Amino acid sequence: MKNQFSRRDFLKAGGLTLLGAAGTIGANTFLHSGHDHNKGGTTASTTHPIQHDGGDHGDLPNTVGEVDHEKNGFHPDDILTAFDYGEVSTLPNGQTLREYNILAHNKEVEVVPGIIYPAWTYNGRIPGPTIRATEGDRIRIHFTNGSNHPHSMHFHGFHAGIMDGVPGSGPGGMVEPGESFVYEFDAEPFGLHLYHCHVFPLARHIAKGLYGTFIVDPKAGRPPVDREMVMVMSGFDVDFDDANDFYAVNAIPFHYQNHPIQIKVGEKIRVYLVNILEFDLVNSFHLHANFFHYYPTGTSLTPAEFTDTIIQGQAQRGILEFTYKYPGMYMFHAHVTEFAELGWNGMFEVTE
Amino acid sequence: MTQQSTNPPRFTFRTFVLLLLPILLLAGVIALFLRTGGGLDLESAAPIENLDIERYNLTRNVIELHVRNTGPEEINVAQVVINEAIMPFTIAPNTGISRLGRAVIHINYPWTYGEAYAVTIFTSNAIAFGVDIPVAFETPQADSATFWGFTLIGLYVGVIPIFLGIFWFPALRQLGRRTMTFLMAATAGLLIFLGLDTIAEALEFANEVPSSFQGIGLIGIGAVATFLLLDAISKAQTKTSGDETQRRLSVAFMIAVGIGFHNLGEGLAIGAAYSVGEIALGTFLVVGFIIQNITEGLGIIAPVLRDKPTIKNLAVMGLIGGAPAILGAWIGGYTPSPFLAVLFLAIGAGAIFEVIYEIAKLIQKDTTREAMPMTIFSGVLTGMLLLWVTGIFIK
Repeated sequence: MKNQFSRRDFLKAGGLTLLGAAGTIGANTFLHSGHDHNKGGTTASTTHPIQHDGGDHGDLPNTVGEVDHEKNGFHPDDILTAFDYGEVSTLPNGQTLREYNILAHNKEVEVVPGIIYPAWTYNGRIPGPTIRATEGDRIRIHFTNGSNHPHSMHFHGFHAGIMDGVPGSGPGGMVEPGESFVYEFDAEPFGLHLYHCHVFPLARHIAKGLYGTFIVDPKAGRPPVDREMVMVMSGFDVDFDDANDFYAVNAIPFHYQNHPIQIKVGEKIRVYLVNILEFDLVNSFHLHANFFHYYPTGTSLTPAEFTDTIIQGQAQRGILEFTYKYPGMYMFHAHVTEFAELGWNGMFEVTE
Repeated sequence: MTQQSTNPPRFTFRTFVLLLLPILLLAGVIALFLRTGGGLDLESAAPIENLDIERYNLTRNVIELHVRNTGPEEINVAQVVINEAIMPFTIAPNTGISRLGRAVIHINYPWTYGEAYAVTIFTSNAIAFGVDIPVAFETPQADSATFWGFTLIGLYVGVIPIFLGIFWFPALRQLGRRTMTFLMAATAGLLIFLGLDTIAEALEFANEVPSSFQGIGLIGIGAVATFLLLDAISKAQTKTSGDETQRRLSVAFMIAVGIGFHNLGEGLAIGAAYSVGEIALGTFLVVGFIIQNITEGLGIIAPVLRDKPTIKNLAVMGLIGGAPAILGAWIGGYTPSPFLAVLFLAIGAGAIFEVIYEIAKLIQKDTTREAMPMTIFSGVLTGMLLLWVTGIFIK
C-alpha cells in the first residue's frame, strides 16, 4: 500500500515536475488577473521586497527566522564589500609586500536560520577573507591550522609548485593540525581568482567552508566605478548526503533577498562573482531588468559579453559591470531556478 | 519455624520494607548512573533525532504536516523545503517539540492537483526528515459528502457482502449433517486465512507506528488479550448453560465479533489509503471486496445451520460483522492513525483465532459421532482457497 517514492526517483522526475509547476503558475496568474494580485517586482511596494498574499497563492520561498550574525562572527553585508589588502610594506627590491595571517579552524556556524552546521573556516568566516593585491605584488600568507584535520591553501594563479597547497607538493600541501606554513608568491596574472583547501576528501573540505576570493588588480587599475562588491556562490550540504540542501551568495541563503543591497540610479556597479559550489555541475547569475558587461576570469579589460545571464562551472569566476537606469526592486539570482528557491536569490533596491 | 510456615503468611511492616528494598536500591543505581554514566561513554557523535510525519493535510494553497517527535530529546524545527524550495512556515504549538510531543506545520504552498511533492523538514541539528506526497489532491474534510462517501465504502466492503452471505441460510439448512460439518471446516479455513491476513496487515501498520509505541508488542497485547478474554467468556457461558444450541449461537456471535474487528481494520486501511490517494476504489476493486467478504457471511451462519436462529439474531450478527467497516472507514478517512489500526487489527486477529478454536471444538463434537477426516481436510482447504482465489481480485 505504501508508495515507495524515493527522493532519488523524485529528482529524476524533477525536471518534468518543474515544467508542470511552471505551467500551472502561468495558468493561475491568468485566472487571477482580474484580482489585485501582487507579484513583487516593479509594482511592489519598496518597503519590503517580498510581499505575502495571505495564502491566496501560497508564500514565496524564504527561510523562517534570521541568522545570528553576531554569534557567527561575520555578516554577509560586510563580506559583500570587505577587501583585505593585507599588511603592506616594501621589500628591498622595491616590490610591495602584502602579508596576511590566516587561521583555519572548526566553527559551529548558523548557515541557515535555526540550523547549526559544523563548518570549517578561514579566519572564522564563510567565505574566507577577500585577498586583494595589485599585479606583481608579493603575497605572503602566514597560514596556521587550528583545526583537528589537515588543511591547506591552494591559490589559483602563478606560483611555484611547492606553494601550490596540494598534498604531495611539500610541507604546504597538507598542513597538520597545530602546524603552520608560509605561502609566498607574486600576485599574477591580474584577474579574479580564488583560493581553497585542497586536502582529501576535497569536496567536503571545500563545501564545509574553506574557500575565498583572490583579486589581482591590473597594474594601472580597472576603470573607476562607484561601488564594488564580492559575491561568492556556494551551497551547504547540511545532512552530508553529497547533495546541497541550501544555496546562497556569501553563505547565508536569502540574505540579500530579505536585506536588499542599496544602490543608486546611475551608479556604476562592479561585482566580483566567484562560483565555488560543490556537488552541482553549474551555477549561474541572472540580473533582472538590466544587462551587464562580463569579463570572464577578469583577465582582460575588454568585456567578452553584454548579457543578463552567465553560467559558471565550479571555480569559474568573472567580473560584472552594470548601471541601473530606473529605481525599483530588482532580483538577482541563479537562473538554475532550483538554487534560487533554495536560497540563492537576492535583491537590489535602486533609489534615485 | 514450623509454626510460622503453617500459619497463613501475613503482610507485616517487615514484608513491606523487604519489598521496598530492591526499589530503593534501584533508585540508587539510577541516580548513580545519571550522575556518572556508569563508566560508559554515552555521548553520541551526532544528536539522535526522530521526527514522524504522521499525516499531511492538503487544502487549497496550503500543506499542513502533522508531526510527532519520537526521538529521545526535544527537536527544533528549523526550515521546511518543498520540491527544492525553502518555504516559510508556521508551527503550532511550538517550534520546539518535546519527546513524544506533536506539532502541526502550516505552509502556504500553491500545490497543483495530481502532482507529486517531496517535503523535507530540517531540524536545528541539520537532520532532514522527509515525506512524499505522491499524488496531491484536496484531503477529504469532514463534511456530509465525504461522510456519506466513507459510509458507502464501509457498506460495500462490509455490510452488504456479509448480508449476502447470510442469505444462503435457508438453502444451506436443507443440507445434511456431513455437509454442514464440511461448511464448518470451510469456515475454519476462511478464518485461518483471514487471521493470517489480519496479522500481516497489523505488521504492516506496525512499521508506521512510532518506534516508541512498539507496534509489534502492541499486536501481541491486542491479540493475546482478546483471545484469552473471549476464551474466558466462552467458558463462562458453557458453565452457565450446557445447552448445545445456545453454545453454537454464541460461537456464531463470536465469529461475527471477530470478523467485525477484521472489517474495522480493513475499513481503517481502505479509508486511510483512500484519503491520501494511495488507492482508487475502482468498480472492479469494490466488486472484488464484495465477492471476498460474502464468504465471511457464510462463516457467521455455519455454526447455527442446524438450529433455528431468529431473523433478529441473524440481522444483529450481520451488523456486528459488517458495520465496523463503516466505522473504520470514517476513522481511517479522517484521522488515519497507525496506532489505532494496529490495535484494532490485533484485536481482530485474537478474536479470529479464538473463534477458530471454538469451531474446532464444535467440529470435534461432530467427529466423535462419525469420523470424517477427508471432510475436515477438504473443508479447511476449501475455505482457505476461497479467500486466496477471491483475494486475487483485490490485491
